[in-house]
Amino acid sequence: MSRATYLVRQAFTSLRRNALVVAAAILAVFVSLTLAFGALVVNELFQVNTTRWQEGVHVVVFMKDDVSQAAQLDLQKEIQQWDEVQETSYCDKTCAWLEFNEMFADQPALLEETDASILPASIRIKLVDVDYYRDITFRLLDNSAVRKTVTAGERFDQLSNISSILNALGLGLAVLLGVASVVLIANTIRMAIYARRDEVGVMKLVGASNWFIRIPFLLEGMLQGFVGAVLAVAAVWAGHSFLAGLEPEDFFIRLSVGADFLVQWGVLILLFGAAAGVVGSAFGLRRFLKV
Amino acid sequence: MILLEDVTKVYEGGVVALRDVSLDVQKGEFVFMVGPSGSGKSTLIRLMLREEHTTRGKIWVAGKDITKMPGWKVPNLRRSIGTVFQDFKLLPNRTVSENVAFALEVLGRPKSVINRQVAQVLELVGLATKGDRYPLQLSGGEQQRVSVARAFVNRPPILLADEPTGNLDPATSVGIMRILDRINRTGTTVLMATHDHAIVDAMRRRVVQLERGRVVRDQTRGRYESFRVDEDDLAEEEAPVAEPTPPPVVEVRTPAELPESESSA
Repeated sequence: MSRATYLVRQAFTSLRRNALVVAAAILAVFVSLTLAFGALVVNELFQVNTTRWQEGVHVVVFMKDDVSQAAQLDLQKEIQQWDEVQETSYCDKTCAWLEFNEMFADQPALLEETDASILPASIRIKLVDVDYYRDITFRLLDNSAVRKTVTAGERFDQLSNISSILNALGLGLAVLLGVASVVLIANTIRMAIYARRDEVGVMKLVGASNWFIRIPFLLEGMLQGFVGAVLAVAAVWAGHSFLAGLEPEDFFIRLSVGADFLVQWGVLILLFGAAAGVVGSAFGLRRFLKV
Repeated sequence: MILLEDVTKVYEGGVVALRDVSLDVQKGEFVFMVGPSGSGKSTLIRLMLREEHTTRGKIWVAGKDITKMPGWKVPNLRRSIGTVFQDFKLLPNRTVSENVAFALEVLGRPKSVINRQVAQVLELVGLATKGDRYPLQLSGGEQQRVSVARAFVNRPPILLADEPTGNLDPATSVGIMRILDRINRTGTTVLMATHDHAIVDAMRRRVVQLERGRVVRDQTRGRYESFRVDEDDLAEEEAPVAEPTPPPVVEVRTPAELPESESSA
C-alpha cells in the first residue's frame, strides 16, 4: 500500500518539476486527439446525414399535407413515366414516421416530442443518371402538390467531397501530431530521469527492482497522455454540444451524432491517450535504465 | 562468501582492468584491497555489484554465480551487498533518516519496520540525534556515517566500501573504521578498497594488493606496504627488508600460491 502511494507520489512530484515541458507534451496530445476525434465525429455526422442517399435514392419529393393520398399516388405514377426516371417508391406518413424513428433511435427525447403527423409523405426517385436531377427538380418546382424537393446530387456530392477532404486533413494532422506528442512525452521522461539520476543511482545500488524504478516514469507518461486525451474529449464534446444546439434550417439535417457514438469513441480516445503516454515513456526509458 | 576465479575484465577500447584475478573471501572476513589508482580495485567492486560484466572468469557471491545471473535477479544480489563510496552518494533533498529509510522503502518494507530499523542503525553509527538534519548540514565524517547506515540498514551479509575514508581527515577516518569494524563483528563480510596507509597498518587485517590488474599480494594481518623480498632490494642490500618495527607475522605469497581459504577472524 505504502509502496503504491510512493510510486504515485514520485510520478506527481516529477510532473511538477518539469511543468513547462509537461504542458507542451499534454498540449500536443490534446491537439492531436482533438483533431482525430473531431474528424471521427464529422465523419459520423456525414454518415448519419447521407444514409438515405446511399440506397441509390437520388431525389426525394416531399408532399404537402393537404394533398390527398390518391393525388400523391397519381403524381408518383406520372413521375414514373418520365424517361429520366428509373424507379420510384412512395413513403406515406407512417413510413416517414418509421424512418424518422430509425434515424433518431438514439434520441428518445426528440422522438417523444415529435408529432408523427407533421412528418410529410414523400416520393423517392431513382434516376437513370444522377445528372438529370436538375431537370426533375425544375419540372416539379411549380407542382402544387409538392412541398419541397431534395436532391442527392447537390448535397451528397458536396458533402462527400468536403467530408473526405476534412477527414484526410484532420487525420493526417492527427497522425503527425500524435507522433510529435509521443516524442515530446519521451523527452519529458528523459528530463525526469535526468533530474532524478542520483536517486535512480541510489535505488539501483540498494537493489530496487527494475520495475520499481520504471513504474513512476511510466505512470508519469501515462498521466500526460491521459490528461491530454481528457482535454481532447472535453473539447470535442463541447463542440458537439454547441453544434447540436443549433437549429438547422433544414429539418432533415442532423448536427448531432448519437450519445453512444460519443461515449464509445470518447473512452477509446482516453485509452489511446494513456497508451500513447506509456509508449512515449517507454521510448524515454529505453537504454537509460539498464541494470 | 565471495569467490573470484580467474577473473579478467577488459573494457571497451581494450583497456585491461583485471587479469586472471582469483580471490576467496570467507564469511565474516575483513579484507583491505590496496594498490595505486587504476590497479583495478574499483573494477573489482563494480563486477561484484554486477554493474559490469566479467570478460572471462567466474564470480560467486553468497553461493551464486553472478556472471550467469539474469538481469532481473541483479537487484536481489544488490540487496545482499551494502555499499559505501568515497563521495557518500546521499540525496541532498532528504533528511538523514529519509536517506537511510530510502534503502528500505524501495524494497517495500512496511513503515513500522522501516522506522525501527532506521532508528537502530542511526544509533549504531552515532547519529541518533541528527535524523532530521539534511546531509549538507553535516560534516563529511557524519555524511559518511549516514552512508554506512544506509548500506547496513538492510543487514546485508556483505559490505563493500570503495575508499570510504578518501575524503575524510585521519581522525574522522578512525571513527568510520570503528563503525565498519563493529559491523564486521556482527558477522558481516567487509571488503574495503583504500589508499589509507594509517588505517590498514593500524587494523592489521587481511590485505590484498592489486597492481595493474593482478593480485600481487594476499596477506593475512598485513600492512599497507608490502614486505616482500624484492629482487631489487636483494640486489641493493643483499638482505631482506630493513624494517624499523617488523610485524609479528609476515606471510608472503605470490599470486601462484594463493591460499584456498584463509580467515583472519
